[in-house]
Amino acid sequence: MSNDNVQFMSHHTKVEYKIPEPSLLSLHFGDELAKARIIGHRCPQCSKVYMPPRGYCPLCVVETTEADEVEVSTNGTVTTFSIITPLQYPGQEETEDYVQGTILLDGADTTIMVMQMDGIPIADMRMGMRVRAVWPPEAKRTDSVTASVNRGMGLGDAVERWEPTGEPDLTREQIAEHVL
Amino acid sequence: MRDVAIVSFAQAPLEQAPGQTETLMLLPTITEALANVGMTRRDVEFTCSGSADYLTGGTFTFVQMLEAAGAWPPISESHVEMDGAWALYEAWVRLQHGDVDVALVFASGRASLGASLRETLTFQLDPYYLAPIGADYVSLAALQAQAVLERTGKTENDLAQIVAERRRDASGSPNSAVPGDASADDLLKNDYVVAPLRTHDIGPPVDGAAAIVLVAGDRAREVCAQPAWIAGIDHRADPHYPGVRDLTVSRSTKQAGEKAGVGKGGVEVAELSAVCTPEELVLAEALGLGDDVAINPSGGALVANPVMVTGLVRIGEAAKHVFGGGSRALGHASSGPCLQQNLVCVVEGRS
Amino acid sequence: MAATWTLEFPYRRSVGPVIGAFLTGLRERRVVGVRTASGRVLVPPFEYDPETGEAASEMVDVASEGVIERAAWVPEPLRTHPLDKPFAWALVKLDGADTPLLHALDCGSADRATPGARVCIRWAAETTGHLHDIECFELT
Repeated sequence: MSNDNVQFMSHHTKVEYKIPEPSLLSLHFGDELAKARIIGHRCPQCSKVYMPPRGYCPLCVVETTEADEVEVSTNGTVTTFSIITPLQYPGQEETEDYVQGTILLDGADTTIMVMQMDGIPIADMRMGMRVRAVWPPEAKRTDSVTASVNRGMGLGDAVERWEPTGEPDLTREQIAEHVL
Repeated sequence: MRDVAIVSFAQAPLEQAPGQTETLMLLPTITEALANVGMTRRDVEFTCSGSADYLTGGTFTFVQMLEAAGAWPPISESHVEMDGAWALYEAWVRLQHGDVDVALVFASGRASLGASLRETLTFQLDPYYLAPIGADYVSLAALQAQAVLERTGKTENDLAQIVAERRRDASGSPNSAVPGDASADDLLKNDYVVAPLRTHDIGPPVDGAAAIVLVAGDRAREVCAQPAWIAGIDHRADPHYPGVRDLTVSRSTKQAGEKAGVGKGGVEVAELSAVCTPEELVLAEALGLGDDVAINPSGGALVANPVMVTGLVRIGEAAKHVFGGGSRALGHASSGPCLQQNLVCVVEGRS
Repeated sequence: MAATWTLEFPYRRSVGPVIGAFLTGLRERRVVGVRTASGRVLVPPFEYDPETGEAASEMVDVASEGVIERAAWVPEPLRTHPLDKPFAWALVKLDGADTPLLHALDCGSADRATPGARVCIRWAAETTGHLHDIECFELT
């Protein structure tokens, strides 16, 4: 067979999707974030607090509603973190190392992943560090839709940055169940 | 073969809260399916689900759906990137092993999130010969439709009559996405999408969720007054490329129907996954259905096409016929272009 | 209209000897099919006879023109369709082939896309070894 024969075929596929309409709960969560309030849902059966609230408890598999709403502190603990060296793939906007943190807010049983840890020098990052949310000025607070499309894994860009509170760190044992 | 019965079927209503997540469409549906037979998730010994990540573009979307099934403590579960009817087939196979008796089958999909379902489904096609020219499912169904009309002598009017009848039958159903009062003449005023198929000839893609509970052996009678026993279930596939087969006949449906035993006693009701009107003609012929068989009394896929759930719903509707005292019914599911792959499930009541 | 996002995959697929022969042919503006053990010439060619599953590898040249077997008119093309004006999908059995090839037919109106009509391939201005080397069919 001649080397000149076609051996590969390129096929650039593109499919478009609509950004899902936020759920009512998602919109409500975002509205509260715009007021610098973080809410969760407490499961009526096992009492675990889910933040962001998803409308159900995955362990008990029961729905949760406004009746189950609780406020969660804006202070919390870094249970773990990653220092990310950004690969320069198409669409990548970061060029310098940055930290992605996992934070367990006081009062919540679920953690969130946050990107806004650049206020803390990378060399100072520690598991167990106590941190607090610093909100943008009221006029610049994020609107509910932006926060709610963040797939429920965090707070989107609602919080401007996180800073240490200065309290003593929590121990490994105290955060062992929340490093994911 | 071990006797397995469908003991419960539940479907999420079309109308949902704004922005309702797929998980929250499924959660109460699964709860309902189990509660119908006095069970909870703790009674389930095997779970199998059907869905397609390409409907929403999210990789591993189906893993999130497991939260609706309740995956803690860890459960024995499986998944197929197919219509839930194939998940039911896998669950039926699993129950044949004899060590477990109760299986939960569910399916879900948010077809509304694709900007164009026709473009999305083109991903499933031959990447060398079909995908590059964007030969979408409606275009391919239209070619099949042209062939069917030519061979059978049926007309677009005949197709419109079928659609009008399906819509009337589904009128008032929480699972119909179309009004029930259009006449064939009204419908014929609709534009072609790809000739001869007009807008009404294509089941509207919708978001959906459904769940079925399977129970093996005598336990089925303990939980359900009239179990819909699976008398036969089989699935077959035809070649993929539309040019290499006769699009007016569905050999795979005929074979699956024979293996599932449609002919061994006939059926009173046939729920067929015809997503475009002419497919009903092809399927009815392949399954040897006479005029005495009620086709798609639920309205079928022409009144709503919850992609990836449609086939499971047809089987569920067939089971409902038996729950209500009927003797035998069949549910059919299809996958791929122009009825390429077909599954037939025959259910029956037993005294 | 809701905001959208796009999922893109830049696939590069190996084609093997049979599909590769077809695409090489297209690049040279000729059509190549494959003859099965039973003697049928499949266009486009497949590596296996869909009827028997037997491997097929005997490549056969077929004509660039043939007959419409089936056609379906598209009044409003999707952006992914081969043409951006109304056209007919056509299954065309090229002379020498036993199975029809699917592509777009640029014939101006629905009534001209009739089974039995003869058509020929309109080749793309530049061919690269891809199904798009066939721009479409046109009536002869």
